[in-house]
This record gives sequence, C-alpha cells and structure tokens, in this order.
Amino acid sequence: MNPPPIQAPRNLRTAPTRDRRRKWFNSLFSVVCLLAAGLATVVLVTLLLAILGKGGLWVDWQFLTAGHRENKPLESGIGPAIMGSLMICAICSLFALPVGIATAIFLEEYQPQSRGLQFFHGLVQLNISNLAGVPSIVYGILGVTAFVYMFGAFGKIETGRPPAWEFGARHAWQLKSLGDQWLQIPDADPAQPGIRIEGPRPIRFADGSNSVLNVIAAGAPVPEDVALRNRTVRAGAAASIVRLNSFWYFHLPLHKSILAAGLTLALVILPIIIIASQEALRAVPGSIREAAFGLGATRWQSIRKAVVPAATPGIMTGAILALSRALGEAAPLLAVMGGVLSTSGLTSLMDKSPTLPVTIFRWSHDENVMFENLAAAAIIVLLLLLLLMNAVAILIRYRAEQQRG
Amino acid sequence: MTSEPEPSLAGPLDFSSLATVSTRVTRRRERVVFVLLVACSLVSLATTVGIIVMLAWESAGFFLNEQIKLGSFLTDNRWTLGQSQGDLHYGILPLLSGTFRITAIAMLIALPLGLVTAVYQSEFASPRVRAVLKPTLELLAGIPTVVLGYFAIVFITPWLLQPWGDFKTFNAAAAGIAVGILCLPLVTSLSEDAIRAVPRSLREGALGLGATKLEMVVRVVLPAALSGIVSAFLLALARAIGETMVVALAAGSTPTWTLDPRVPSQTMTGFIVNTFQSDVVEPGSLSYYSIYAVAAVLFLITLLLTLAGEWIRFRFRERYQ
Repeated sequence: MNPPPIQAPRNLRTAPTRDRRRKWFNSLFSVVCLLAAGLATVVLVTLLLAILGKGGLWVDWQFLTAGHRENKPLESGIGPAIMGSLMICAICSLFALPVGIATAIFLEEYQPQSRGLQFFHGLVQLNISNLAGVPSIVYGILGVTAFVYMFGAFGKIETGRPPAWEFGARHAWQLKSLGDQWLQIPDADPAQPGIRIEGPRPIRFADGSNSVLNVIAAGAPVPEDVALRNRTVRAGAAASIVRLNSFWYFHLPLHKSILAAGLTLALVILPIIIIASQEALRAVPGSIREAAFGLGATRWQSIRKAVVPAATPGIMTGAILALSRALGEAAPLLAVMGGVLSTSGLTSLMDKSPTLPVTIFRWSHDENVMFENLAAAAIIVLLLLLLLMNAVAILIRYRAEQQRG
Repeated sequence: MTSEPEPSLAGPLDFSSLATVSTRVTRRRERVVFVLLVACSLVSLATTVGIIVMLAWESAGFFLNEQIKLGSFLTDNRWTLGQSQGDLHYGILPLLSGTFRITAIAMLIALPLGLVTAVYQSEFASPRVRAVLKPTLELLAGIPTVVLGYFAIVFITPWLLQPWGDFKTFNAAAAGIAVGILCLPLVTSLSEDAIRAVPRSLREGALGLGATKLEMVVRVVLPAALSGIVSAFLLALARAIGETMVVALAAGSTPTWTLDPRVPSQTMTGFIVNTFQSDVVEPGSLSYYSIYAVAAVLFLITLLLTLAGEWIRFRFRERYQ
C-alpha cells in the first residue's frame, strides 16, 4: 500500500493567486472611490462654469437695479427681486429665530418631570424630525391655506374679493383731466366706488403737487393754457376709487402677499433652526450649568446668562444656514405668491413681490430666449449672496474657536 | 405682599420678608418663561396638525365632488386636470409614474455614488483630499434647487443627453440626473455619519485577521453601519420624491403614463406648482381641490419614508459599549 501523497490543503495551495486577486480588487476599489468622489467636484465645477459662461457678462449696475420688462431683456433687471428676497429673509428671521431657539431650549434644557410633559417632549422631538422631511411644496400649500386664505375664517374664499379686515388703507378717487393728466381727489370714502364731479375739489397730481380742480360745463371750449387744462374736467366726469397703500398697510386674511410668503418660509426653516440650536445647546458642557446653579441661579437665569451665550456661535451658524435655505427656496413662494415678475418694488408687506428664485424660474421658461442668459446672471447674484452668508457663518465659527482657545 | 410687616429701622434688620418677595417674583418669572417656551414648541406641532387637517379637509372636497370617483383616481391612467382639454380624467397614475421615473434615475445616481464617496471619505481619503472634498460637497448641498433645474435645461439636456438619443427639450432623464446631484451630498453625509459611528476596534480586528481594506469595508464596516445607510437611502428617496423646482423646470408639464425617460413627464410636485403658478385656479374649483388630493398622496408617501427611515435607524442601530 502506497501512502497517499501529501497534499497541501486546497485553499493554501491557491493562496498566492488569491492574494494577488484580493490586492488587485482592493486597489481597483480605491481607484473607483477616487473617481466617484472626484465626480462631485467635476459636477460642481461644470455647473459653475456653465452658469458663469452664460450669465457672467450680464451682471452690471443696471441689471442689479432695474425691474423686469416684458419682452425687453436688455432693460430688465433684478432690483425688486433682490429687495423681495431680502425682505423674505428678514420676515423669516423675525419669526423663525425666536420660536426655533425657544423650542430648542425647551427640548434641551428642561428635563420633563411629569408623565404628561415627558410625552409632550417626545412628541415635539419626533414631530421635528418628521417636519424636516416634509417637501417644501407641501409647506407652500399650507401657506396658501393658512396665511393667504386663513382657512376661510374671514368669509368665502374668492379671488379678487377685498380683504375682510384692513388697517392703514388710504383711498382716493381718480380721474383723467382734459390735459391727459391723472388726478387724484384725496381722502375718498371707500363705500362710494365712483362719483361724478359737480364742483371744484382739492386734487393731487401724479407728481404729488396739490391744486384745485377746475370744472367747466359739458359743451364749453377746452382752455388754451396747458397748466389750466391739466387740472380741468367737464362737469359730470366720472372718477373711480383707487387704493393708496401706506407702508403700514395691513389686512386679514393676508392674501397673496410677501408677509404670507415670509411666514410660510419661516415654517419651512423652523425645523432646521430647531435642530441646529439643539446641537449647539448640547455642545455646551454641563459644568457651565452646574457652575451657574452653584452660584444660586435659577434654571432660566442659568440659561439666559450662561448657556445661551456659550451656544450663540453655534446657534448663529445654524440660523445663517437656515436663512440661506430660505433665500434659495422657490416652490413655497410660487405656491403662495404665484410667479410674480414686476417692474416696481414693495410699498407694503401686503404687496406681492418678485424674489430671486422665482425670477430665475420664470426667466428660464420665458419665450424670449434672451431671458435664459439673464436667468444665469440672476443665479450668479443669488450664489454670491449665499456665498456671502456662508462666509459670515464660517467667520463666526472661526472666531468662536479662537476665543475658546 | 402688603400683609408683610415693614422692616423697622430700629432694632436688627430683618431681610427675610424681602427675600420671600424676590423668590416669589423669580418663581413666577420661571413659570412665565416655561409657559412661553412650551407655547413656542407648540408652533411646530401646530404646523403638523395644520398640514394634516388641511390635506384631509380639502381632499375631502375633491373626493366628495359628484364628478369624482375614488376608483378612477387610483386606476385611470390619464390626467387632464389643469389642462385646457374638455375630457375630464383624474387618474393619478401618470403623475405617479412621472415621479417614479425621475426618482429612480436620481437614486441610480445618488445611492451608489453617495455610498462610495462616503466610504472613500471615511476610510481611504488622505486629510488633504478630505479638506477639498468636504467643502465641495457642502457647496453642492447649498446650491438652490432652482439653480440645478436651470443647469438641467441649459447643460444636461443639450450637452449630456441629446447627443445620445431622441431626448425631448423637457425630459425625465435630465430632471432625474439633476435630482440625483441634489441628493448626492445628503446620501454622502448621512452614510458617512453611520460609517464613522462604527468603532475603530472592529476595523482593527478585521485588518488584524488579514483582510484587505476593501474586505474590511464590505464584510465588517458596511454591515455594521447598515441601519444608518438604509435610513440615509430612505431619507434621500423622500427628498427626491418631494423635490419640486428641478422637476418643474426640466421635466415639462405633460403627465405621461410610460417608462420612457426621454419624454416630458409631470410629477406630483410639478403638477402642484404648475397649477398654483398659472394663477387661474379659482378656490373651490375642481383643479383647486385636486392640488390638495395630489398633495395628500405626496405627503403620505414622504411621511411613510421618513418614518421608516427614523424607525430603522433607531430599531436596528448596533450599539457598541
């Protein structure tokens, strides 16, 4: 009987080949990784170059200040849109910052004592992570229902219906003189939508100067003097009512206004602010709270004097990032205000206003293809604004780190 | 407080009454502050309640309309609301198929790329590469979606797609690619968080047993981080389904019932924003109510995905102590 030949175990015999394969796969994978990661950079660079190439030449002073002109791309600009976007940011920070920071303080600094409060605590926490996942267009619909129409609480919902309750509105009757000038008779009574002119009345010209109306009979000849003709109407001429908005003009329901849009976006960024502030508060070491308590501070005193100041850089950074989200968000604005393009800026918070993202959206769809280049120019301005905000956030973070040493 | 005796100047001063008053004021202030904080946190709860009540109430207005049958809403494959055609069709399938096409393309791009980028960042990249890559992804994440939509129209469709086939001016593929770009940073940062949470000892164990880095990643790190990665995928999916501006710009406004990525396709979000923007929707009309019905479907889908993502993250989280 021959002894069986000694054989190496199978896996051992193939080990050199297999090792080589394993190492080869390993280096292949690291190359694939590098390529995939590099792709993100390539995409970003391509995007920036494509937009710079299309719109770079269009950004000038006139573009930054002018409004939209229908079918006249060379005269159009984004002045009112920039103002609108900044106003939206202001409204957002006014409403979302206090509410968001307060919610974060409640969630982080007040450990619930009773059963009911524990439940409430958990509910709010779960709710915030869910709200962060709700699509922004759904917020837009909420804005339409809750702010624009206010759930129909002020009567039946109809477009073109005057608001149920208003404050700060001024009215005037308006008519055209024989000299083709628009005249306004101030202090009109809104209950009378139109009047007929019978006698002389105080008037105001379009440039704001005051005068007195000159009334002539129906068949009388037109005055030769231009200044007189400009303030002359025939007896029985009709004047119709117009609304002159003061900047404090306000009405309920809010209708399609920039205030409604700003409040809607405040709801969109609320979860972001809450989550960022919670993280900032969590990063404050417990020793700071204990020191404050040890000095006899109550809970609120310790929060106000010790914890919040320590967390301020983190909260500010989160807030700026949330506001830059609000600056770039278009879908809720489209839902609440519609696709507004306008030549003039805001007069009150009850006006519709163009914003940068909505202007970009409309211009990239315009039939006049020239507007596509203008959209790129508007994107450059938007990205620069965002970059500025992010730079401020980074600066705050950097200085906080320096102070901490 | 008036019942407290005045501290007399003659004799030893007694400050105890003063202390009581100040303690009482302080306590009351603590109470007031607490109530205010609770009121502020009610705002976020009210938002959710508002969304749910509004969607339920107004879609009831849609489904209770005598022209509408729930069966047709779920099975009819044509959607003509918001268009100037006489024939009334209101099957949500075309809108769902538009959302599905674009989301599928987006996920095909964002999931593998995002996961691989996350692995690269946490396991392979040198600090110098990471110092470039991380800000790049943050910048990409900060780009407004309307800008990505514009990029899809002026670059992706004419330069990337149309040389390869008969892609229409507005098509699902371009929108899908742009949404994929948009989801990429999200997938990367969430998966990277999950991968980084895997303790170092597991990696060292694998390497000590002779595994290559690839084997360590595939056999040890990824399985340990699986719950976090799956939850990242679900959150990205919800984000892609809810994405509006890219789709409104690049995918066109024709609802189509097909799987062809080259033709225009309207999604649920695209329908909502187009209908609002057109400014002709009379409150109380059928197209007005249809917005809420579509939004209710959209909200349910994204809510379920977000909840599932959160649940998986907490339920299947590996705990290492």
